[in-house]
Amino acid sequence: MIRCVDIVKDFHTSSGMKRVLNGVNCTIQRSEKWGILGHNGAGKSTLLRIIGGVDVPTSGRVEVDMSVSWPLAFSGAFQGSLSGLDNLRFIARIYNRNYDEMRRFVDDFAELGQHLREPVKNYSSGMKARLAFALSIAIEFDCYLIDEVIMVGDARFTERCRRELFEKRQDRALVIVSHSMDYIKDVCDHSMVLQGGKMTICTSVQEGVDMYNNL
Amino acid sequence: MTPQPQRRDTLLSCFVIQYKVIHALILRELHTRYGRENLGFLWVIGEPILFCAGVAIVWTAIRPAREHGLAMTAMVVTGYIPLTMWRHCMGRAVKAYESNGSLFFHRQVTPFDVITARSFLEIIGTIMAGGIVMMGAIGLGYMNPPKDYGLLLLGISYQCVFSFATALLAASLSEMSDLVEKTVTVFGYLSLPMSGAFVMVAWLPLRYQWILMLSPMANNVEMIRGGEFGIEASVRYDLFYDTWSTALMLLIGIFLTAGVRKHLEITG
Repeated sequence: MIRCVDIVKDFHTSSGMKRVLNGVNCTIQRSEKWGILGHNGAGKSTLLRIIGGVDVPTSGRVEVDMSVSWPLAFSGAFQGSLSGLDNLRFIARIYNRNYDEMRRFVDDFAELGQHLREPVKNYSSGMKARLAFALSIAIEFDCYLIDEVIMVGDARFTERCRRELFEKRQDRALVIVSHSMDYIKDVCDHSMVLQGGKMTICTSVQEGVDMYNNL
Repeated sequence: MTPQPQRRDTLLSCFVIQYKVIHALILRELHTRYGRENLGFLWVIGEPILFCAGVAIVWTAIRPAREHGLAMTAMVVTGYIPLTMWRHCMGRAVKAYESNGSLFFHRQVTPFDVITARSFLEIIGTIMAGGIVMMGAIGLGYMNPPKDYGLLLLGISYQCVFSFATALLAASLSEMSDLVEKTVTVFGYLSLPMSGAFVMVAWLPLRYQWILMLSPMANNVEMIRGGEFGIEASVRYDLFYDTWSTALMLLIGIFLTAGVRKHLEITG
């Protein structure tokens, strides 16, 4: 279970402090698939980063009793100047995983081939997404935080994600931030809408999508 | 791949994780800084060697062979190596968190681990470089072997802790205030006279000696010189003061490091 209790997040901006999240509460149970909806700048990614432990909330707390991935997004989690393999090696070490096993899975899943030896900063966003997914699936988290990134892959990659994440690992929780309503309707079974710093928990995915469209 | 077993965090398992993280950070740091090609990682030692050997050679060449009755080369080596250790630790710590934002995407990596890994590399590098420069100088006859290894090691150990504490403070304070970030190099230079690297306490007039002894590093250098020269040199250090002031710095450093995460704006 992940429980966000009264999360408040302020950011320094040129026009003073800006409150992005203003008392957000939500609970994510094992194997639930949540879609977070909201307009640009509503704080969806920020909330995901707070749940993932990257950002510290100004006040409030996140209670976590399962393993939660880092937010899988277009940036972050990798050192750009290091090669994909060196990043893999580092992540295998800190998550206490077997390097060879992980390497095999990543080779198989991401199909980056010789690109793995290139610095990550030279990767396209699709390649970064493939690497991030491969690594985080190899680590076997209980909950995956996905920030848009799943949509950039080609059909082959999307299919592979579907198989590995939604079929083989149905018991895992997912929190997805996306503007693609079709995708959210396809994979999520719960939704919440973030607006004006407040979170509304919806009774169904369709209700969330309707609410988002009427915002 | 098997699903992750239920996590059970004991104090021991936390230390094991921390050990693994620091180990991984050290290797990562070596790769990012020196690349994987050739003998890049030898630069951890190579850079301070060139630095210390260079200064030792120049000073030996242009200064009188003895100063206050002490051999010039030995004075430079015993002063410059601790100074290099301290300055490199501090320099590497400034803004270390922001430039390594991607590390904090992984929740087991803490700011403390980042500084520990960096300082470890600097300290080990300087100590090994110092050992090599010393052996070279001894082999070439410019320096005598240390008279009292115990005191030498004690001084070096205190200097390591002092450098690490400085790194913790510099890393946290530079994230909290831009002013600190800008002035830390200036501070490094201005504090040179207080470092004790180029003077000894006994060279100062008796009534001003206490000023130099306020600096933990000056105490450490005195110990190192006491170990190198033995009774030949008159050294003054206050082990009691040195211990508590270094420990206090370390505690404040750890305290600030524990709370620094809320000051960071991490960009991946």
